[in-house]
Amino acid sequence: MAKKLSGFLIFLSLVLILSSCESAEGKQDGKIKLTWWDYYGSEAAVAMNNAIKTYEKAHPNVEIERIEVPFGELKKKILLGAAGGELPDILIIDNPDHQMLAEAGILADLTKKVKVWGQEKNYFEGPLSSTVYKGKNYGIPLGSNNLALFYNEDLLKEAGIKPPKTWDELKSASEKLTHDDVYGMAVSAVSQEEGTFQFLPFVWQAGSDLKHFNNKGSIDAISLWKQLIDNQSMSKGVLTQTQQDVALQFINGKTAMMVNGTWQIPVLEKEKKLKWNVVGLPGYKKNSTILGGENYAITSTSKHKEAAWNVLLFMQEKENAKKILIQKGNLPPRKDYIQDDYWQKDPRLKVFANSMEFAKARAYGAYYPSISKEIQKMMQEVLTGSMPAGQAVKQASQKIKPYIPQ
Amino acid sequence: MNIETDISLQRNITMESRKKAKRKKVLGNYLFILPGGIFLLLFLVFPIGYNLKITFEDLTALNILKDQSFVGLENYATVLKDKIFLLSLKNSVIFTGLCIFFQFTIGFAFALFFNKKFPGRNVMRALILIAWMIPLVITGTLFKWMFAGDHGIINHLFMWLGLIDQPIHWLINDHTSLYSTIIANIWIGIPFNMIILLAGLQSLPEETYEAAKVDGAGKVRQFFSITLPLMKPTILTLLVLGIIYTFKVFDIILIMTGGGPVNSSTVLPFYSYEMAFTNYNFSLGATVNTIMLGLLILVALVYLWLVRKEENV
Repeated sequence: MAKKLSGFLIFLSLVLILSSCESAEGKQDGKIKLTWWDYYGSEAAVAMNNAIKTYEKAHPNVEIERIEVPFGELKKKILLGAAGGELPDILIIDNPDHQMLAEAGILADLTKKVKVWGQEKNYFEGPLSSTVYKGKNYGIPLGSNNLALFYNEDLLKEAGIKPPKTWDELKSASEKLTHDDVYGMAVSAVSQEEGTFQFLPFVWQAGSDLKHFNNKGSIDAISLWKQLIDNQSMSKGVLTQTQQDVALQFINGKTAMMVNGTWQIPVLEKEKKLKWNVVGLPGYKKNSTILGGENYAITSTSKHKEAAWNVLLFMQEKENAKKILIQKGNLPPRKDYIQDDYWQKDPRLKVFANSMEFAKARAYGAYYPSISKEIQKMMQEVLTGSMPAGQAVKQASQKIKPYIPQ
Repeated sequence: MNIETDISLQRNITMESRKKAKRKKVLGNYLFILPGGIFLLLFLVFPIGYNLKITFEDLTALNILKDQSFVGLENYATVLKDKIFLLSLKNSVIFTGLCIFFQFTIGFAFALFFNKKFPGRNVMRALILIAWMIPLVITGTLFKWMFAGDHGIINHLFMWLGLIDQPIHWLINDHTSLYSTIIANIWIGIPFNMIILLAGLQSLPEETYEAAKVDGAGKVRQFFSITLPLMKPTILTLLVLGIIYTFKVFDIILIMTGGGPVNSSTVLPFYSYEMAFTNYNFSLGATVNTIMLGLLILVALVYLWLVRKEENV
């Protein structure tokens, strides 16, 4: 009995060992199998799958396995995959994470391939800069978006005002638009990357930057938000509202204006009753907006970098790229593609398309996530009123100093 | 003489074969624990060991593919000196203490109530369990909306009752954010406490109560002299489980406040998560986890000591 049992157990453990050893990657019957991770859901996922199918049809020797991961999970999955030696060949990553993953050695250096390809001049500076780290290319931009000011046309007409172009106009417009349970203005100041994303354009508009954060511009930027809250023309609730929550408030007519991104256009277009329009973010010392969106990258551990690069080139061809960009609600990161009628004829899309020239990427090196966390904390300190703006900005600038690349 | 040695020899032989048989049996028994042993090793001992190992290294996202260096106790020093660590430790103690106290007392009250026989008892008991069954993400979001400053139902109610005249931003105020999450977590934990206590109550011998009644003991006396002492083992187990569960609560905090504003509702598990997955400093995250594990082992040891004391009496 004992013998039988131990025999069975040995068999069992052998099965376990063998099954865990089975290799997942590699060539099967001469076919190159590429794996692909991204966070594209719903319509964008369909567009992605179609593009992949088209590629496979044209290249019968390549098989692509696409795995969809929720946005918030992808970065963790990549890091765990790197630790466990199980990374895919192709990655789609949020642009502020690009430099960190490059520094971690997870992404393959594509400098030579990009040079040979010779098309990087066609890209806007913002998206391209997010793929470059220490002078080397670690990917190519996929799709871009940026922030602008959405406004409710009916509410503005009622109050008899025009969409604000400067910070002063923004303040007075927000005040006039606020009544009963409607707030004039809304942003997302949530303690997540989204919060930093929404705040940075205001810092840049005031002539400041994360690289020299301790100055009057930064104080002006956060004070503007604080004043809007103190005047009650912006809800204190912005501290817990994500950009999606803000859009919901806007759709329900609870806020007359909001800062939000390109990707909200398809969402708002579904609301037939809502009359809305969009203008560039109001300026202060200068006009500025922030770049969002994602990039393609190839992992350093990929055994088929050439094949993966070919896939990326295919995805960058105009017709293929256009379908994916439209379904995702993104703008092309390329100056040539953005001239397409789709982005030029629609006046709302054109606002975003025009901003691409100066949309700035969060290219602050490998420690950007830690920098961002400190900025979020500073925003919370000031907006909850637990610390004066000047002190909070000074403290944050000291905290982020070691993380800023020299 | 001859016969005697013969007998002792024979005895030796039988003892030998018996030993062999016994050894075989022991081996067989060990084989039975092998699967469980392997499971524990793979899914418990290894991860905890690895976690412990990286607390002495400098593993971050940036050197995950490179070599990590040994840093000794530096991570522990960094964490223990961090003001946010001390704040989250304090928050964790407040969170666990208040949650356990209210979950337990309210749960006990419900258990006593449902221990009575009345029509509709089973339906109501099942309904109360819903709080325990709803996924935490949903509960967290619901409470976030209820506590919302502008359109939250709690502010609406308080203003209608005339308790406040300005809406309170519960989750954005550093004096109220932690307590809002505590209230949500109490609500979640009541059913669990109730069910365990109710099971305990139902196994209590009825004769004792009858005897007490005959001797003229009132309800209160019965509760303190019979129910509580007899329930002691159940209560102890429940409290220890409760402390361990509550100390680890993370989802509710993440969803409702994100640890904010300015860390005012950060508890230890959330602090560890932030270290590991926002700042990508895995070693510091692991260090906080190890400290938490140490604290919880202390709680478990106290429990074991109490149980042994109980048994010895």
